[in-house]
Amino acid sequence: MTFDKKTAGGVTIEELPAEARFSLRVRDGERAAVAGALGLELTDTVGVMTSGSGRKALCLGPDEWVLSGAPGDAAAITAACAGVYDAAPHSLVEISEREIFIRASGPAVEALMATGVARDLSRIGPGQGARTVFDGTPVVLVREKTDSFRLNVWRSFAPHLLGHLFHVQKELASGL
Amino acid sequence: MLLIHCPYCGETLPETEFAYAGEAHIARPENPSEQTDAEWVEYLFMRSNVKGVHFERWRHIHGCGRFFNAARHTVTDKFLTTYKAGEPRPDIEALTGIKAGVKEGEK
Amino acid sequence: MSTYRIQGRGRVNHSEPVYFTFDGKTYTGLRGDTVASALLANGVHLMGRSFKYHRPRGAVSAGSDEPNALLGTRRGKGQFEPNTRATLQEVRGNLETTSQNKLPSLKFDIGAINDASYMMFSAGFYYKTFMWPKSFWDKVYEPFIRAAAGLGVAPSEEDPDDYAARYVHIDLLVVGGGVAGIMAALTGARAGAKVVLVDETAEMGGALLSEPAVTIGGMAGWDWLAAALEELESLGVQVMTRTTAIGYYHENMVGLVQRVSDHLDHVPEGAPRERLWRVRAKQVVLAQGALEKPLVFDGNDRPGVMLASAAQTYLNRYGVKVGSRAVVVTTHDSAWYAAFDLAEAGISVAAIADIRPKIDAELVSKARALGIEVLPSHTVITTRGRLRVKSVSVAPVSNGAVGTSRVIPCDVVLMSGGWTPSLHLFSHTQGKLKWDAEAQVYLPDVKTEEVEIAGAGRGLWGYGAALEDGVVAGRTAVKALGLRATARAPGVGVDRPGTGIMVKDLPTNGDPGKARAFVDFQNDVTAKDIRLAVREGMRSIEHVKRYTTNGMATDQGKMSNMNGLMIASDALGKAPPQVGLTTFRPPYTPTTFGALANYVRGHQFEVTRKTAIDSWAEENGAVFEPVSQWRRAWYFPKDGEDMAAAVARECAATRKSVGIFDASTLGKIEVVGPDAVEFMNRTYTNPWTKLAPGRTRYGLLLGEDGYIRDDGVIGRLSQDRFHVTTTTGGAARVLNMMEDYLQTEWPDLKVWLTSTTEQWATVAVNGPNARKVLEPLVEGLDISNEAFPHMSIAECTVAGLPARLFRLSFTGELGFEINVPASKGRVLWEALMKSGAEYDICPYGTETMHVLRAEKGYIIVGQDTDGTVTPGDAGLDWALGKKKPDFIGMRGLKRPDLVASGRRQLVGLLTSDPKVKLEEGAQIVLDPNQPKPMKMVGWVTSSYYSATLGRTIAMALIEGGFDKMNDTVYIPMPDKTITAKITGTVFYDPEGEKVKL
Repeated sequence: MTFDKKTAGGVTIEELPAEARFSLRVRDGERAAVAGALGLELTDTVGVMTSGSGRKALCLGPDEWVLSGAPGDAAAITAACAGVYDAAPHSLVEISEREIFIRASGPAVEALMATGVARDLSRIGPGQGARTVFDGTPVVLVREKTDSFRLNVWRSFAPHLLGHLFHVQKELASGL
Repeated sequence: MLLIHCPYCGETLPETEFAYAGEAHIARPENPSEQTDAEWVEYLFMRSNVKGVHFERWRHIHGCGRFFNAARHTVTDKFLTTYKAGEPRPDIEALTGIKAGVKEGEK
Repeated sequence: MSTYRIQGRGRVNHSEPVYFTFDGKTYTGLRGDTVASALLANGVHLMGRSFKYHRPRGAVSAGSDEPNALLGTRRGKGQFEPNTRATLQEVRGNLETTSQNKLPSLKFDIGAINDASYMMFSAGFYYKTFMWPKSFWDKVYEPFIRAAAGLGVAPSEEDPDDYAARYVHIDLLVVGGGVAGIMAALTGARAGAKVVLVDETAEMGGALLSEPAVTIGGMAGWDWLAAALEELESLGVQVMTRTTAIGYYHENMVGLVQRVSDHLDHVPEGAPRERLWRVRAKQVVLAQGALEKPLVFDGNDRPGVMLASAAQTYLNRYGVKVGSRAVVVTTHDSAWYAAFDLAEAGISVAAIADIRPKIDAELVSKARALGIEVLPSHTVITTRGRLRVKSVSVAPVSNGAVGTSRVIPCDVVLMSGGWTPSLHLFSHTQGKLKWDAEAQVYLPDVKTEEVEIAGAGRGLWGYGAALEDGVVAGRTAVKALGLRATARAPGVGVDRPGTGIMVKDLPTNGDPGKARAFVDFQNDVTAKDIRLAVREGMRSIEHVKRYTTNGMATDQGKMSNMNGLMIASDALGKAPPQVGLTTFRPPYTPTTFGALANYVRGHQFEVTRKTAIDSWAEENGAVFEPVSQWRRAWYFPKDGEDMAAAVARECAATRKSVGIFDASTLGKIEVVGPDAVEFMNRTYTNPWTKLAPGRTRYGLLLGEDGYIRDDGVIGRLSQDRFHVTTTTGGAARVLNMMEDYLQTEWPDLKVWLTSTTEQWATVAVNGPNARKVLEPLVEGLDISNEAFPHMSIAECTVAGLPARLFRLSFTGELGFEINVPASKGRVLWEALMKSGAEYDICPYGTETMHVLRAEKGYIIVGQDTDGTVTPGDAGLDWALGKKKPDFIGMRGLKRPDLVASGRRQLVGLLTSDPKVKLEEGAQIVLDPNQPKPMKMVGWVTSSYYSATLGRTIAMALIEGGFDKMNDTVYIPMPDKTITAKITGTVFYDPEGEKVKL
């Protein structure tokens, strides 16, 4: 853990535990084969997350998914993809260590998010996500529930983002 | 802040997620080595710099990551349309009645 | 309670006194007062001095258009703001206010001598006065201009307040909380739209707050207002007071600044002072109303001379009598109604002088019934009084001839020159205006955004018309949103719409050359200045504006623009639309830097990226330097060491035994796919086909122009997988460039790119003992020179961590770079420190890294190259895959200028005096005795003291440098000329034996 959980101003900011994460890139023709090997569906609708076999895949771009699984699942994911590589060429690159995972949740979470995200958050429903920018910092955000967001941020940007989040938490706690 | 429609995401999103990437429809020659100096200069340096409808590239860099093309009016700063990389230049005159690449007053 | 407050009247809370200070004296106001209304309630009209002439000034308006009553306001240390409009700032406890432009005191001001030197400060005085002699420019004129310039005093302490920001996405934004705006918001909300309604003052209601006699929907106006606001709230409308729409940007984005806590006695912990809202609305309704124009006559700026509507507002909204004996001068019916309200409240209204010959009979009879003398066809000649108006002179006008004037004693003069629709935000959208010749106003015409204008903003007068128009605008917006509108406008009673005319400066029988008839109060621009500007050749209103500074003050001419235009048109003998209209630009009213910067300050000003090893460096006394967004350990001084000593020690330790360096910031890109090698061949200059898995190569990346863009060591992990490293600063740029080619030029290639910069922490271990330090920690790999030669890569385990191990060197010594999962970077570092203890392993920073690489002649892209350096110029021709059919930049390298002789080439430089260190960037000449300007043949790119060599070394780009080996060149510096000899760039171990250990 790199920071302590804190609740104030109607939001809780906490760090989420590590998980096995991969950047998966594959074209239309080979997508089904890779999806089959991984045991989940791979949608080509940007922003939509699918799950299966204890794994999740968030579509970030037309040929790009961020794949996540339990921490011990990395070797199995790598092996599953390697098994179909020759027939269905793709790119699987482990990025488990690249990001810090932050959860912001609570009744005031939309106000917190609206201090940094220029997107219309009402268009991102539970189970959906997107790569975007939070106050100048590139992030992948996922709406887990109506009042709960997950922010995946590159490790070195995390202190800056957290500095912002904790500052706004104090602002929200002021009630003004 | 502009709103830009990403043809890959199918969403109209804030400009902060995008990066401008220069004039569109300037293809890299198939065999650069066979290019004359004059041809290479044309490819490398010459840009249209229109006052009016400009075809240009953008990248949804903080989103889906794709490069795409747009037609934007350089006077009003309004996007007329965006389309995927590799697709042909749309007929702006048919879309909007504005002549592409024609200077104001020459219409 | 003061004699000017009417007990029980207005919307202030008469049972809650609020104490504040003005110029050190404590005054009592009421909760709900502005500073201006509270001072007026205390009989204080003199609130400041003017900018140029230091003339006494008082509040002329009751709103955000105020040009005169600008105060310094203070809450505590650092919480000072100049130019706060007294007409907008609410009183609160702990509020200190001070008047401005006074010297030494508000009532006695020696700067008012400028007023007597009026002629000297006429239009264009800057351009005429400060011309000659030249010697006066920086000694006399500049200090004078600097002392005189600026309004108020800039704060000198850091602002301790917080400022906030938020994005909001809605269906309908309504700007302006008058009845038109409220009706538009109700129309939207009743149809189910998500609505935000904003108003810049402390309360919704707009002009209705100043006209309590109006009835709406059969109710008293204020009761209707309360009910409407209640309904808006119940419908979920976000109603925001104290919120100014400062700018209208592309695609219906409107910037709002909300004054969150300036009105509060005590600010809760963590609360922001202001919040910037970035509103993206599908539809916008602008219901900003209209601004009353002053009349232009001699002495129209004296304290006590104010807009008629302002007096009405002070009376009805704040319960304040602005004086005891008023004279009204007007061209519009609205001032008559103001006069009636004042008279009915017990203020003596001596007379109404109206420039119009024919006035509505009902108005005349009502005035007479109230004992007010009616003076039609009358002009104002002048006012008298030093710090407050004491009398006004009026005179009849007949067929353009001004008759004999008479003096009417009074303590306030209420003026009205009609109303200007407030179209500032509409103008921000580049919306076009059209001139309404009958009403003599500009009205909105061609729209560029999804916007409607409602009410007085488009020239409609009266409450009935405003309510109707609010519904119309609301319905249009609702329809565009695809919803169905049901709202209807309520009926109105006691409406007082009225009409009027627009005039230029009022006719006078006085000497027009001496008249101080102000057009722009804040910038002290008079009618005479504008006429002078026209006489001196200004034709466009844009030129008149800049020559006179009319409309260029912080109020952007809210009061002055139309009067200025009417006078300029008259002087030019043209109709106003032929003279033009100046452009309004954001912000609508002055905006704090705090609101614009909001969260982006202090630690949050800029991202500071830190590596996993940064904490160790900090704990061990590293000095840091910024490298692009990263902070990197620069050097690790021991007790008493300066930078030079620390770097010399770190260099020596690394060359002698072993050094350890955090290289985590290097960019890393994983290139994967069946076409990975083809992609590498096309992008990097080098040939990659024959690079075997497990081997690495120095890669060079060019632009299509043939110039060096980036470099780095690239390892082939398997047939289809490369680990590319880039420079620290180039990581994002290189990935973007690669994606560009891949997506748009070579979409057929089956290869994908992933940034792994932050997946890995990278530690470099260099020095003759590097292997001895590393070997005990490595599992699953033989790292002997035979099994793992220079330029190898392998996956293995280091210190129990999964690792990608490179054998490479950026120091010229035996070197390894170990990549481990980022979170374990410090674990690896500490394991290496422990393992290296017996070899006195030495942590080094970026400065030592620079020195060691320079001793070897390794370039730093961006330091030794500047975007115009080819591989040939940098001595890197060997890195070009000349047999390849193509790579990015290959054709570019054949451009005539790139193959011409005389290009600047990268060479070494050794100064004649080995102790003299050249300055990086210093220019180089071949002949130090040539006349100036000398011909410069190049410059120093890198320069260091080399502990290894016991002397200084440098690299430089010099014209034809490769053919000038051993030549002497000269580097002229301010105090001396340094001589140096051109050498090769490799100063240490030229055979490259050390890396092969």
